[in-house]
Amino acid sequence: MEFGNSGVLSEGADSRTTTGAYIANRVTDKLTKVSETIWCCRSGSAADTQAVADIVQYQLGLYEMVNARPPTTQTAAAIFQEIAYSNKDRLTAGLIIAGWDARHGGQVYNIPLGGSLHKQSYAIGGSGSTYIYGFCDANWKEGMEEAEAVAFVKEALKEAIKWDGSSGGVIRMVVLTEKGADRHLYLPDTDYKVRHQ
Amino acid sequence: MTSIGTGYDLANSIFSPDGRNFQVEYAVKAVENGSTSIGIRCKDGIVLAAEKVITSKLLKQGANKRIATVDRHLGIVYSGMIPDGRHFVDRARDEARGWRDNYKTPISTKDLAGRMGGYMQAYTLYQSVRPFGITAIIGGYDSELETPVDGEVGSGPSVGAGGKVEGKKHGGPFLYMVEPSGLYWGYYGAATGKGRQAAKAELEKLDLSGDGESTGLTLEEAVKEAARIIYVAHDDNKDKEFELEMTWISGADGPTKGRHQEVPEALRKEAEKYAERMTAKDVEEEEETKEGGDKMEE
Amino acid sequence: MPGFDFSNYNRNAALHARGVPLPKATSTGTTIVGCIFDGGVVIAADTRATSGPIVADKNCEKLHFISPNIWCAGAGTAADTEFTTALISSQLELHSLSTGRKPRVVTCMTLLKQHLFRYQGHIGAYLVVAGVDPTGTHLFTVHAHGSTDKLPYVTMGSGSLAAMSVFETQWKPQLTKEEAMKLCSQAIEAGIWNDLGSGSNVDLAVITAEKTTLHRGFVKPNERTQKLKSYVFRRGTTAVLNEKVIKKEEIGNYVSVEELAEEVPSGDKMEVDT
Repeated sequence: MEFGNSGVLSEGADSRTTTGAYIANRVTDKLTKVSETIWCCRSGSAADTQAVADIVQYQLGLYEMVNARPPTTQTAAAIFQEIAYSNKDRLTAGLIIAGWDARHGGQVYNIPLGGSLHKQSYAIGGSGSTYIYGFCDANWKEGMEEAEAVAFVKEALKEAIKWDGSSGGVIRMVVLTEKGADRHLYLPDTDYKVRHQ
Repeated sequence: MTSIGTGYDLANSIFSPDGRNFQVEYAVKAVENGSTSIGIRCKDGIVLAAEKVITSKLLKQGANKRIATVDRHLGIVYSGMIPDGRHFVDRARDEARGWRDNYKTPISTKDLAGRMGGYMQAYTLYQSVRPFGITAIIGGYDSELETPVDGEVGSGPSVGAGGKVEGKKHGGPFLYMVEPSGLYWGYYGAATGKGRQAAKAELEKLDLSGDGESTGLTLEEAVKEAARIIYVAHDDNKDKEFELEMTWISGADGPTKGRHQEVPEALRKEAEKYAERMTAKDVEEEEETKEGGDKMEE
Repeated sequence: MPGFDFSNYNRNAALHARGVPLPKATSTGTTIVGCIFDGGVVIAADTRATSGPIVADKNCEKLHFISPNIWCAGAGTAADTEFTTALISSQLELHSLSTGRKPRVVTCMTLLKQHLFRYQGHIGAYLVVAGVDPTGTHLFTVHAHGSTDKLPYVTMGSGSLAAMSVFETQWKPQLTKEEAMKLCSQAIEAGIWNDLGSGSNVDLAVITAEKTTLHRGFVKPNERTQKLKSYVFRRGTTAVLNEKVIKKEEIGNYVSVEELAEEVPSGDKMEVDT
């Protein structure tokens, strides 16, 4: 899930990758960097979302070199959406794009299964998201500060991990600001209370 | 008549020993004979103007436009070989559309100028083609507002996105000129074609940079000045009749709402009256000084 | 007629419609593992190849060479792991030659994942990619559909659950080389004993910045020993009903015999240069 406002944009995810009933990776990093301050949150097929993220990372790298300026979140969202929509029959990919840029500040875009593009205040996705629609609706408020935003994302993920069998493991987060990307890690051993790394 | 010469001017992609591409230089000659085009970038917009020499009384007045719209916010005017200009504009439209397809957002004036500069340059490289016989002026107004991704749904938090860098200006009016060599620069005022020297001299007198204490020209003033400059530039070519064609682009809060449009007839007529008045005054002043000079000699 | 011939497609569709099942791909039940230690990485594999319920090979090689400093352990369809690793090994060597740099593990992993993603899982290669390059020590898994993971210890194949249980109970950070080798071979043994698809021996490779050492048959817990009893059938177990001896000269009565002219080697004929 991701969340953006008030100069801070924070994106978080659990770490579980499953093949059937087996957890293939219990510490997966589903937060993928596509440019310095634009990240995406992957859900659905690991192979599909990794392939799409790799293509977008390449495109944005090229964009930055050709146009001599970093891409905006809009640019990233547009490229993600084009790939998601034009390959909708072949892909199982739910993507959330979060980015910070000087012109637009922090923004969140959601690209669900069919490849449509939604600009949102916060976005939730993946199997665990069904359990936290209520939580997010009740607890999100406009203009939160960085610490509030991080706490909101973390609490939402804790609920998702608690109720969803396919979510679990560690909580990873990335906070996107003017200063760049700041990564957080919280372990279940300490009840997700202590920040590691 | 000179003989066949050195042979270094027969094809593109062949340098002369002193490092010149004659084909490109001949293309510049074609431009220098073309009718005058100018572009003005002022603080709140762009004005493009073209002198349209009337070659036949059978041509319908106001038809056969010379200034083209490339995208909602972009216009191009050119001097030189008109069919080359038409092809150039077609390509510019393709580039603008291609950018929209890829990035779901309008192309910036700078990026379009870059693409078109590259396109022109490519026509100086190969034996099989000739350079463009035009110099083009590209004017555009890049939105200062946040542009959405084409096709996006929703608008994010009602208070807007946080964390923007305050005090930074984005977008605005931009003007570029592309030459047959592919060379392009950004300008406050640009002129090309037969009357370019006179036009440039007039453009330099205008307050376009808006630097320091000066307030800079407004868009409406720029329209009038553009008309005047085309009239001044036409002066050497007095015997031929001409039509004035003008377009403009303002910001989202201006008269064209960020679009490239033809200057409304009323405003154009007013500008033309102003231009006629000013050029007539110039002639009077000139004649007065001439008379004065004669008197001194007596 | 030029172009593609689709008659086999139509035949297969017709057969399928009549309920003929699709042929099963030869797939190896396998246990493969990898583990990073201080200064390098260890990968290991069992040596059983299966074809349905049959053990096709009791001592096959599942550790594949990619480059001197990168090795791959393969599970899934045997032919696919063999050819995919060979193909990427070749591409990586050419890339290394043209760039003048040592091959990197991430490059290998990226080539593999893009190749496998393109084939949408039809190439049944499940791989553990390990190596040491100028950027450090790396360990990845690559699944047949093209997804990858980066972890300090990994297991794959039908015996991966058994092997993972060993890692999850015994792994600790900062292992020594010897500890990592022991842990990996124990993980493979867990597969050998508890997974029907895995068996025979443990192959193991240790990769460090200095060198790669391949231990073929690192552990051989399933050596064939002398049978306690002899199972040779006694002479006369089967009754002889009649007996007939045919001489060589009479062979023409039973099969057609053609005399071959004896070839006379001729020095002149062989001469090419004059």
